[in-house]
Amino acid sequence: MSVETTTADLVHAALAGSRDAFGSLVESHWDRLVRLARSVVGDAEAEDVVQDSLVVAWTRLAGLSDPQRFGAWASRIVFRRCLRANRRQRGRVALDAIPEPSQARDPEAALSAWQVLARLAPRQRAVLHLTAVEGMTDAEIAPVLGITPASVRAHRRRARAAVARIVRGGGS
Amino acid sequence: MKTLDDEALVQSFEERLRTHARRPGATSASVARTRVLARLPEASRPVPWMRLAAAAALVVVLIVAVWLGSPRPAGERTAGQTLAFAPALGPNVVTWVIDSRTTVYFVLSRDGSETRGVS
Repeated sequence: MSVETTTADLVHAALAGSRDAFGSLVESHWDRLVRLARSVVGDAEAEDVVQDSLVVAWTRLAGLSDPQRFGAWASRIVFRRCLRANRRQRGRVALDAIPEPSQARDPEAALSAWQVLARLAPRQRAVLHLTAVEGMTDAEIAPVLGITPASVRAHRRRARAAVARIVRGGGS
Repeated sequence: MKTLDDEALVQSFEERLRTHARRPGATSASVARTRVLARLPEASRPVPWMRLAAAAALVVVLIVAVWLGSPRPAGERTAGQTLAFAPALGPNVVTWVIDSRTTVYFVLSRDGSETRGVS
């Protein structure tokens, strides 16, 4: 039995009211969803955001049109709640996390991955994450972020230019 | 200071991003399962907008059904019924049915005199 078939079976069982089946979905997608949330909102809020998102996913499960795509659908819920969390924490991250690049002798080594990510727009963080960490294609990323594949490419191009600028010490 | 071009800088960053993202989380998947299940409401429900749309459609159907089924006021007739009950008219009479209770008659004559009436 393929992974997709198993996911679809679990979704159908969860729709029929099986909390155990939904628990299995949570367990199999938890790590990947937390990785995404970490890259978009940072460590401090990532797990809370994913937990909230999965509770929302349970209440909206009937709206999932293709049960085999539970992972992408749940990722989209997580991403949207990350955007909401970002709006709440706007301004705090940049002040807490980012040192003055010009003070570092080796800017590349001085900046952690999150310190660079925190200077990017949330969609740029997500695109870089889904590309570099999850190895997803533009067509797979697009529905997660609710944008077109062409927009995914544009976000990635701008994100990479911004990363190079930040790492060199030029700011965002 | 390193003199890497932009592409190398980005590749190096993406490598650090992979390492950063793949660190083990504070909560394991099995613990997360327990926590999420403890927070679930009783049952998976249809999305709220679907229920709202269904309720709105039901209200519309009820309003239309009540309107169609309600008795008409006594004496009220359709335009066709009004004409069916109208007295026999001459060829020089024009009838104008405004509504079920109001019919206007125009009587045309050659000598310029004109008779009008409202029923």
